[in-house]
Amino acid sequence: MTNSIGRQILTDVHFWIPLGVLIVGILVLLLIH
Amino acid sequence: MATGSATLPKTGVLSLHRLGVMCGLAAGAWLGAAEAPTKLVTLGFSPFLISMGMVVGVFVARWTLPMALKGTTYVWRDLREKPHLIPWAILAGALWAVANTLTIFAIRDIGLSVAFPLWNTNSLVGLFWGVLLFKELRGAGAGPWAKVLGGAIAIVAGACVLGLATSQQPAGLSDRAGAGLAAALGAGLLWGTMYIPYRKAYISGMNPLSFVTIFTLGELVTIGILTISFVGGVSVFSGELSALRSSLFWLFLGGFCWVIGDLFQQYAAKYVGIARGIPLSNTNQLWGLAWGALVFGELHGKGAPYQLMVILGSLIIVGGAVAISRAEAPHSEQASWRAAMMRECGRYGIDPARVEAALTGDDPLSRETPKRAWWDFLIIVLALAVFVWLGLGTVTPDLSMNPFWMVVLVTATVAVLTVCTAALWKRTRFS
Repeated sequence: MTNSIGRQILTDVHFWIPLGVLIVGILVLLLIH
Repeated sequence: MATGSATLPKTGVLSLHRLGVMCGLAAGAWLGAAEAPTKLVTLGFSPFLISMGMVVGVFVARWTLPMALKGTTYVWRDLREKPHLIPWAILAGALWAVANTLTIFAIRDIGLSVAFPLWNTNSLVGLFWGVLLFKELRGAGAGPWAKVLGGAIAIVAGACVLGLATSQQPAGLSDRAGAGLAAALGAGLLWGTMYIPYRKAYISGMNPLSFVTIFTLGELVTIGILTISFVGGVSVFSGELSALRSSLFWLFLGGFCWVIGDLFQQYAAKYVGIARGIPLSNTNQLWGLAWGALVFGELHGKGAPYQLMVILGSLIIVGGAVAISRAEAPHSEQASWRAAMMRECGRYGIDPARVEAALTGDDPLSRETPKRAWWDFLIIVLALAVFVWLGLGTVTPDLSMNPFWMVVLVTATVAVLTVCTAALWKRTRFS
């Protein structure tokens, strides 16, 4: 993957929604297990 | 993508809306059928391990079916054409794995009858993201809105009624109820959000078969890490996995059925969007119930109120599915879909003409790709060998099954597969 594609993904606001939800899910998992 | 000309197919050509609806309903049939083989797994194993066994089976099937249908060269070229979607597919796989693990904790802490309705809201979460991010239902007018939203809510409600009627009631909420509620709600949120990458891939012109080959990597790695962590390390995991050997065939078979259902769900998400496609595929609850009640006699001994709830829940689900299937996107909504597609093309430098062709059931990449290579056939043979090897050492538990209903349901699900696969091939060549 080139830097250009990496930049395109990281500046796409859509990407941060599932990534943020994934982080929340992992945190919930760590808290409750 | 259905632009003006695309939505008005020639006489006798299946419309993309109808094809997407068929795929959504076929997804429900096969995702529901996937539950049947897993019922044959002898009790006593960790749920993490059972989940891991099924995901490994899913991985084998997801690397085999796309190669059988399109070939490795096609999948490789499709991925190279849209490399930015590789992290998206891995992310989607990780979301699925974490959500699936959360459901195990939710069932442990609050019971299936409370947890299921909470995570079953994932289709409403998906609908929300479809409207917000991908302009689905924008400009659709009151009629389609009411049918899609009402249908989705009806399918969730019907599935909840079925869940309440068929699962064991919890003895009472434990002191871990808060943790269980968080886990169930979290699973619904994660699964609903997982549909963002799905739709993202398809409005960029990626083939669902290519998407799932990467999705499954994120899924397998994440579930592997979680399983090894929760069962207590690599050595404990290896020991328990070898003990599971005699049941692995059933888990792999369940995973295989699940992949067929999942592929239909992906095509539904491609051709009718996630707002319509995901609730339709959530009719799997109905098929799971049919297998449980008719083949495995799980409702035996349940009183009349429970049976009435089952009939009521089933009718509500069917009503919701009918409503959604009749909500074809009008031209004004298709213009919004097109705007979402153009955003992706502009941002990632994709050729809009190629994407538009892919979204109308054409497959320009297929015409440019050479025929299958010898290793495509090798992959298929290896996958078959894995299934045969697992089948040889399999133990079938002494479980009461109704052979008549088993034959009826197997015939029905195979008929659904045949009709929908033929329709997909004829209309899109699996584009």
